[in-house]
Amino acid sequence: MPGASGVPLIGYLIVAAAMFCIGAFTALRRTNAIMILMGIELMLNAVNVNLVAFSRFVPAGNGARGQVFALFVLAVAAAEAAVGLAMVIIVSRRRDTIDVDHINLMRG
Amino acid sequence: MTSTLVIFIVLSLLTLYAAYRVATAHLITHAALFLAGTFAGVAALFFMLQADFLAAVQLLLYAGAVMAVVVFAIMLSQMREAGDHVPRWVDALRSPFFGFLPLISSVALFVILLISYLDTPWPSSATAAAVNSTRYVAVPLFQSYALPFEVASVLLLAALIGAIVLTRREDDR
Repeated sequence: MPGASGVPLIGYLIVAAAMFCIGAFTALRRTNAIMILMGIELMLNAVNVNLVAFSRFVPAGNGARGQVFALFVLAVAAAEAAVGLAMVIIVSRRRDTIDVDHINLMRG
Repeated sequence: MTSTLVIFIVLSLLTLYAAYRVATAHLITHAALFLAGTFAGVAALFFMLQADFLAAVQLLLYAGAVMAVVVFAIMLSQMREAGDHVPRWVDALRSPFFGFLPLISSVALFVILLISYLDTPWPSSATAAAVNSTRYVAVPLFQSYALPFEVASVLLLAALIGAIVLTRREDDR
């Protein structure tokens, strides 16, 4: 079969796993709030690659359920980016920094 | 080795390189640029998986809209430098809590995932390609997942209103 037949499922899974781990590293390592949000976006993208790959390789009834799930992940990621970056903007306006190590007002 | 496999390997290496540059960028604008590259690479992977509707949405929404929001946030927060400890290897080794632990945990997660992937028998061949992939997505989306679709629209509206209310200045009230 032409198309994706040359690439096995595990190829997509390994790429997605590597991307997820790079995103997790970015979110954990960086202290800049915008960089942390970028790491989260990378992780969500990796999950989407996994969902679409599974919907291509695992047969399931009629329709591509995996792609529908990926669309929902996209919608939630868009909402998360909008609210998260709005929070970054108000924090930078009030505290003059977006370094999460210095935003510790509610730490006990 | 087929040409499809070669294209896939080159594409995924480019995507992962862009993701790596996001993680190690000194300037936050460079991170945003490479993040857009990663999103475009993921869209190309979607094309290879014959999910062309999702690939188009990925380009419009992620490489377009989300990147515009990120660039505006960088501009409004006036942070040109990433402003945090740049993850150099020596630096990462020296500060055990903020450098070493994230590296160890993410590499360990990747190794665990790799071992479990190689240990699992996966379906070897792809299912039959959809003739009309947009219809292939739309049928379950508007039939069995109609309620989650409406909930997602409410979520997006709430996020829109929330972002406006959060970023409004106090003296406008």
